[in-house]
Amino acid sequence: MEFIGFGLLYGLAVTAPAIAIGWVGSKATESTARQPEMAGRIFTVFILSAAFVEALALLGFVLGILVQGKL
Amino acid sequence: MEVLNELPAEVDHLLHFLSSQPVPGIGGGVISNYIFFMGIGIIILSVLMWVGVRNLKLVPEHKLSNAVEALGQFVRDDIAASMIEHGSRKHFPFLATIFFFVLINNIVGLFPGSKPGTGTMGVTVALSTTVFIYFNTVGFKNQGFFGYIKSFAPHGVPFPINLIVWFIEVFSAFLRIFTLAVRLFANMYAGHIILGIFAILTSLFAQGMIEEFSARTVIGALPSIGWLTLMTALYLLEILVAFVQAYVFTLLTAVYIGQAAEAH
Repeated sequence: MEFIGFGLLYGLAVTAPAIAIGWVGSKATESTARQPEMAGRIFTVFILSAAFVEALALLGFVLGILVQGKL
Repeated sequence: MEVLNELPAEVDHLLHFLSSQPVPGIGGGVISNYIFFMGIGIIILSVLMWVGVRNLKLVPEHKLSNAVEALGQFVRDDIAASMIEHGSRKHFPFLATIFFFVLINNIVGLFPGSKPGTGTMGVTVALSTTVFIYFNTVGFKNQGFFGYIKSFAPHGVPFPINLIVWFIEVFSAFLRIFTLAVRLFANMYAGHIILGIFAILTSLFAQGMIEEFSARTVIGALPSIGWLTLMTALYLLEILVAFVQAYVFTLLTAVYIGQAAEAH
């Protein structure tokens, strides 16, 4: 039963970050295609946004391990 | 899939291995295994820095001096100068220390069998508490005691909303300790867990082939190649994550310092 809980926890926790990172990646590609000389700055902002969002998804994973008592 | 029956026991083993245990040989267990690898990281960092800045010339002649200077310039220009308006030179030593410390500890964890020093909440919360104390000190020094506390409220906003946003901003400033620490810790810890699980799966499928070599067991071991490829791909991602997490930690520190050093 607790495996279903863990699966649900992580699955729900990672849905929105996955969509968000895909979205910001597509926006980064699109804006690089529109103005290629800003590619460095745009890439920086993309990596920064992805790291912010990824932190939340990974926090869900670590919490899943934590509530099982195995941290 | 009867090979997967041993998976839960192996995963328990892995999680126990990755948890914080005292090292019994050193002083009777006063430091943990993560602190041991943090110590190794500090020693490696000290040696690299000492060798790298020994004979400073205008054009660096050794690859190590070049690498150290390139990374230092990266921190100075792309992180400090772009996030802190003026006076970024004052804060450059602190930012460079944070960057190199997190980077070396993340990289030390990439070698098989060793752990990243930043993979435990103790080290990351200590780092983020240091950052919190530092940028609050910068704020108090630059804007005065009450000036800094009042600067959390936005300007040009009428009274009740002012106060509510002030509470939210102060709360989120305290929350920065937690989010900085958890971002770094979760990336390092979860990365190692995933690599460990893929390694376990590779070895579980190949176990039949190791015990006796016949055509049936060789075909049974074919999924191991898939798991190994996946583990290699994730290993490359972990190398990228090591650099990116050091960069993000330092960048956020610079952003918080820049926000505290002038009007909020």
